[in-house]
Amino acid sequence: MALGVTEKKLDNLHWPLVLCTLIICSLGVWNLASATKNAPIVMALVQFRSMLVGAALVAVLLLADYRWLQTMAWPGYFAAIGLLGGVAFFGRRVLGARRWLQFGSMQIQPSEFVKLAVIVVLARWFARDETGVRKGQYGILDLLRPFALILVPVALVMKQPDLGTALVTFAIAMTMVMFAKVKWRDLVILLACGVGGAVFAWNRFLKDYQKQRVLTFLNPEAYAKGAGYHAIQSVIAVGSGQWSGKGWGEGTQNQLAFLPEQHTDFIFSVWAEEHGFLGGVILIALYAFLVLAALDVAANARDKFGSFLALGVAALFFWHAFINMGMVTGLLPVVGVPLPLFSWGGSSVVADMLGIGILLNVSLRRFMF
Amino acid sequence: MLVRRDADDIREIRPRTAMGALIVVCAMLVLVVRLYQLQILRGEVYVVQSIANFRKSLFVPADRGVIKDGKGRTLVDNRPSFDVFLTPAFCKGKERDEVLEKLAAYLRLTQEDVDRIKTDYQKSWFSKDRLERVNLIPTPHRSYHAPVSLGHVLGYMSEVTPDELDDHPEYRRGQTIGRRGLERRWERELRGADGKQNIAVDAKGRELDKDTQEALIPESERLVPATPGNNLVLSVDEKLQRAADLAFPGRAGAVVVMEAKTGFILAMVSRPSFDSNKMSGRISRQELKTIFDDPLKPMLNRVMNENYHPGSTFKSIISFVGLESGAITPSSTLFCGGGYTMGNHRWRCDKPAGHGALDLKHALSQSCDVYYYTLGDRVGLDAIAEMARRFGYGQPTGLDLGREITGIIPDSKTITPESGSARAHAINSAIGQGEINVTPLQQAVAYAAIANGGDILVPQIVRRIESPDGKVLREFHPEIARKLGLKDSSLQAVRSGLVAVVNEPGGTAYRSRLPDLEFAGKTGTAQVMKLGQKQKLDPTSQAYFSRDHAWFASFAPAADPEIVVVVLNEHGGWGAEAAAPAAAKIISAWARIKREEATPGTAASSVATSSMVR
Repeated sequence: MALGVTEKKLDNLHWPLVLCTLIICSLGVWNLASATKNAPIVMALVQFRSMLVGAALVAVLLLADYRWLQTMAWPGYFAAIGLLGGVAFFGRRVLGARRWLQFGSMQIQPSEFVKLAVIVVLARWFARDETGVRKGQYGILDLLRPFALILVPVALVMKQPDLGTALVTFAIAMTMVMFAKVKWRDLVILLACGVGGAVFAWNRFLKDYQKQRVLTFLNPEAYAKGAGYHAIQSVIAVGSGQWSGKGWGEGTQNQLAFLPEQHTDFIFSVWAEEHGFLGGVILIALYAFLVLAALDVAANARDKFGSFLALGVAALFFWHAFINMGMVTGLLPVVGVPLPLFSWGGSSVVADMLGIGILLNVSLRRFMF
Repeated sequence: MLVRRDADDIREIRPRTAMGALIVVCAMLVLVVRLYQLQILRGEVYVVQSIANFRKSLFVPADRGVIKDGKGRTLVDNRPSFDVFLTPAFCKGKERDEVLEKLAAYLRLTQEDVDRIKTDYQKSWFSKDRLERVNLIPTPHRSYHAPVSLGHVLGYMSEVTPDELDDHPEYRRGQTIGRRGLERRWERELRGADGKQNIAVDAKGRELDKDTQEALIPESERLVPATPGNNLVLSVDEKLQRAADLAFPGRAGAVVVMEAKTGFILAMVSRPSFDSNKMSGRISRQELKTIFDDPLKPMLNRVMNENYHPGSTFKSIISFVGLESGAITPSSTLFCGGGYTMGNHRWRCDKPAGHGALDLKHALSQSCDVYYYTLGDRVGLDAIAEMARRFGYGQPTGLDLGREITGIIPDSKTITPESGSARAHAINSAIGQGEINVTPLQQAVAYAAIANGGDILVPQIVRRIESPDGKVLREFHPEIARKLGLKDSSLQAVRSGLVAVVNEPGGTAYRSRLPDLEFAGKTGTAQVMKLGQKQKLDPTSQAYFSRDHAWFASFAPAADPEIVVVVLNEHGGWGAEAAAPAAAKIISAWARIKREEATPGTAASSVATSSMVR
């Protein structure tokens, strides 16, 4: 890459996306500072450090063309699966789930990076696969290989168990599949069978206590203090924010610890409690903008690989944001899904930043052929 | 590596990204609508709920009203103490056992108590209140300074039952409520109203620091002070109460000392009694069992909840039947030959040789049975019953101290043929035997009427109710249930008979006379056992339980009666020996107390009391 084009490159950088990311990151750190006001360590600073690490990685990776990722897809995929395997055997057990790997003083949560690996490997598959082009459309049978690719890591994440991440990973992959040319009929059949089968099995064969057990098994944290407690307290926190919120650091649900997991899964409740409807709408708009920008990057990518990469990242941000905010406002069941760049957690912050990096990279090189 | 130029594919993806963008916008709008619904439409509801989360009401118990005697001496008050609260949600399993073990040592709990607490723990396992925690809460406890003999009058306190909690939501679980006596009767006045203190706590129930408290809870809502209960001022005189208790010689029985003209009760003993402190505090099941299994029934208030044959004390009433109906006159005589025969049954007199011809005064003072057999037979059962009812027998006296039994006054309608003819009943009733049963309190009311000229008074024990700062809220005035309208001559005749009982040689209570104070009264010895009607009793107690009851009903001073004293010594034997001397001692103590209070040294207390005596 010639240095002479650097200036040109900077002009091509997706600045609205950068700006939007910076705003979300700033609000995220500010909000986390309130959520962790009573914590012994300054968690907001630690989070800020993770963001810097992520940003630095992004800056470095921007130097390379994203197409380099095609060659990294399989190694990355197997490395991710290897890490998940490591978690299964050596992972640290917290509240009945093994999700973390300890490296010296650093902990990482491989499932966060698995999402990226799946995005890359699927993008590569869709970019190179000729079946769709040959037949004009994909049928169900043609998709068996990408499904197999998805299922291995999803199954490993489910086993941790981490229902939220498994669901989101699956949702991201499904979204990417939908953007490929799949027969609408097959797609509908697939969806109908999946949803119908699950609903039927749930209602018909499982008794209440079994459902409870399944939910508890898949998502132990949410049920550790009694099912429903999280959701109820979260809705109270959000609702009591009213128009303009109680003010930074003044949310009683947050500050007095009635809100559980207020710095991780329920970080949006803190935001909504302290900044009200106005703050909530602004944040929703920022995430919407981020996802729309990612879709814009996908639509204007140079090649299919870049387009699918951007779609995958768009799906990643969309599903995380939507499921998380839906869950803390009581629209969706409580499954542990972090809010990108808002929830506490180094791994997810770095992974999210890398996702932004992929978007910037794809967008940066959209005119280079 | 093959690098495809796939601009065509991208072009196909583009419309799908537009569709995707639409879905994203719709999804985000759903979130916005949801936020609007929660924060704007239902915001206020959640504000209330979020406040309820951190707001915790601490209970501020009201001081219960104090009970004082007629001279202003404190009989019952409250002593500060602490209740230990353990909350199952915060103290379970092994920790629970350790905590209980330590508490048991500190508080001297028995194993039984510990087991009971563990059982209670199981029950409260589903407690919903997550904010309660192990705590010490200052709770004033009742403290009884009065003599134990006032137990039945005062009552005691014990924990409210679940049923009571349903009926009275103002009580909290674990609080106490008045049982028996005045504590129960005046629960509402004594209790006051509990206050509360609102504090802010975090999710673990920890109290927040002062600044946060002030920020979260408005000043006006921080404390709702408790309203202390009102005080009771009794007519009882503690000194006289002690004297009465001391004078009473028996194992079981009752003493009533009442103002003859007002009906206010000055002393009231029911023996055996119970210790209100003990009953209100921690009492082991074993101790409770001992109390409830005691054949002498300590929980029974003998003054108003047990009845006895009045024996010869009833002769005063029979005298009025004769005098008012004209069957006898004060000077007319009846002959006692040592017995009275009706058909093939002969009733004997105490004096087998007979008293000879007797007028009313001597018949009363020597307690001649035959005189009264004759009189009873002459006037008949229904006339006796009517006069007895006019005197207040056979019905509650109206003392406002809880349940009261009526006693039994037989008449021709209530007797059964198997129990004997109306004539036989009349003859038995004439000496207070047979089916007649009266309470000591009824005796006091009847003898007060004789003493005061025929007013049937409603006995009272509370003089007034005062606010905590001493303002009189309610004053109780003497209450006359009815006037008997007896002839003066009848009253004079009976009174002179009763004076003779004590003050004339040959009177049955002559040995109990006082040198400096003339009083009047009537002895009674109520037969308990009829031949062939022995109850199955423990052999060692059989002798005791088959002994006669000793009665003495009296008033003093004889000339202008101020007090009525009724003594019932259960299974005490002869009235003259087992009851009259006690009454004499009580009357003498009353006179001494009155004298002491009239002298300047003790004037202070008499000034205070002058207003309460009408």
